[in-house]
Amino acid sequence: MVATKKYSIIDTETGALDRRIFVDEAIYREELEKIFGRAWQMIGHVSLVPNRNDFFHTYMGEDPVILTRDNNGQLHAFLNMCRHRGNRIVRADEGNSKNFMCTYHGWTFSNDGRLEHVPGVSEAYYDALAMDELSLIEAKVDTYAGIVFATWDHEAPSLEAYLGDARWYLDVSFNRRDGGTIAYGPQKWLEPCNWKTPVDNCSDNYHVPVTHLSSMLAKNKLIGTPRTTQQEMATSIDRRHLFVNGHSLTFAEVDEKTPRAGHGMTAANRHLFEAYQLDTLPEVERRLGSKRARGMQLNNHSLFPNGVLGFRLALPRGPLMTEFWHFAIVDKDAPEDIQGYLRWGLGGNNGVAGLFEQDDIDNWRQVSLSATSPLARKYSQWLSMGRGHTTDNHPEYVGHVSERYISESNQRNFYTRWEEFMNADSWADISIEPIAADYQGSATLNS
Amino acid sequence: MATQTKAAPQTTDRELWSELMDFYIEEAWILDERRFHDWLDLFTEDAFYFMPRRKNVYRRDLAKEFSGPGDLALMEEHKTDLQMRVARLDTGMAWAEDPPSRTRHLVGNLAIQSVDGDEVHCKTAFIAHKSHLETDQDLYTGARHDILRRVDGQWKIARRTVLIDANVLLSKNLSIFL
Ligand code: FES
Ligand SMILES: [Fe+2]
Repeated sequence: MVATKKYSIIDTETGALDRRIFVDEAIYREELEKIFGRAWQMIGHVSLVPNRNDFFHTYMGEDPVILTRDNNGQLHAFLNMCRHRGNRIVRADEGNSKNFMCTYHGWTFSNDGRLEHVPGVSEAYYDALAMDELSLIEAKVDTYAGIVFATWDHEAPSLEAYLGDARWYLDVSFNRRDGGTIAYGPQKWLEPCNWKTPVDNCSDNYHVPVTHLSSMLAKNKLIGTPRTTQQEMATSIDRRHLFVNGHSLTFAEVDEKTPRAGHGMTAANRHLFEAYQLDTLPEVERRLGSKRARGMQLNNHSLFPNGVLGFRLALPRGPLMTEFWHFAIVDKDAPEDIQGYLRWGLGGNNGVAGLFEQDDIDNWRQVSLSATSPLARKYSQWLSMGRGHTTDNHPEYVGHVSERYISESNQRNFYTRWEEFMNADSWADISIEPIAADYQGSATLNS
Repeated sequence: MATQTKAAPQTTDRELWSELMDFYIEEAWILDERRFHDWLDLFTEDAFYFMPRRKNVYRRDLAKEFSGPGDLALMEEHKTDLQMRVARLDTGMAWAEDPPSRTRHLVGNLAIQSVDGDEVHCKTAFIAHKSHLETDQDLYTGARHDILRRVDGQWKIARRTVLIDANVLLSKNLSIFL
């Protein structure tokens, strides 16, 4: 167990949060090691490497990673670092190749990680190079609903345990169809804010009617999208906000005909979305059971550490810079028109030019930046909303469940989870909540 | 994809070239003077505005450099979608553009690729600069591959494909029109 607690940044009684964690260079360096060096992170999707010998270039924290499907169809994730001097051995976003030749001196690695060829190994190295000890550095890989996750820490619990009962809720969006999901993208851009702010924002339903009012009004006027008011959000009892095993989720209780993925839905095409929902209901019910298939819709959520609304990533690039990756993830078996609307809607709302996303970044940046001032830093962030209005013993829902859709309990829990990772010497010091939800239906982690 | 570079313009019609160049200069002033309703009027009712993602790929994969139709783009907008963006600005609460950006669009290198009845296929190069809030700056360069159509004697944009010269956009968002 942890002897001394190095970080105590959130007072869960008052909701006071120490702003230093958004700007301090030393804290940031430690995050790269203790969070991004340890946690399972989303790095890709099976559909991005559909064929043998495909590769897709991605990141874990700041570290460049090559996701490969080797010649036997096996997935791997490697640090993109030549074992000789450290040059990157892949410089493209994607492609197909059985091996990767370093452009510095020509060491060549196979796409299952082995060092295959070293120029001059007999002459220059006198056959004294232990080539089999110089494979690429490999992360542990697993998939959930087609999304590829990886961790550098071989002591980490299984992905199934890491997701825990967050999966019970995530399944409602990502594990609906027998055919799984397909990912399109990413769009990539730089957001000048600390990576934690967009992650924390995923459970901030409070900001939606204010930050995004202009977009809701414009969408309502031109394509008939219903808009949500502050009042509705604050008082609705059929929408929930909960934290489970490190992950922040929000969801709504809905009727069986409400389309589950609403991005890109307009008054004109709504009937197509409703038909898709009803047509697929028997399959979804077989996979997820009736409660999840008929009564639930997943809304904004984040996966610890840096997954933002589905398969979207907040990649750290220094304390005050985040590289944002936006993918659109949709049911692979959805009809082409539904896939098209969803892809358009996800980008049109949350992409770099997204009506919603555009208006978020200056808020996030200024929230991060305020901590650069010694004066401002004396005054904590104030995450007190909904204190005392959560339960760990909800009759239907596993997790730390808020009474309302608007609450800061997920944020308090997110920063508490951050403390836990930062104070831990190893995975032995990091708690994992036992899986307790009732997984009706046939869906598993990756089928 | 309209990414292949054809050689010289296939027309020697200097008059048409000047007419189109005037159109693009006018469009740039409209954008930079923030007359966005006038800008919408430059598009046909069936207009499609498309900005693919640009991937960083090896030379052997250049055919896949731009995301194609059916893939995730940076923008894929019908006229209603462009109208939605302008309606948003009009609310006075579109925070990404309120206070608004100061923009400058420079458009040149006009090449007419083909003329087909009332439609012209042409391409231009652009540099667009955005200055936002106090010190934010973005620089965008790229190409526009347009189909312009003559409607009631006026040129209108029926299709625009913006090919942006960037992989990771060095911008906090894409809140201006290119
Ligand atoms: S650094 Fe890669 S071969 Fe030398
Ligand atoms: Fe937002």
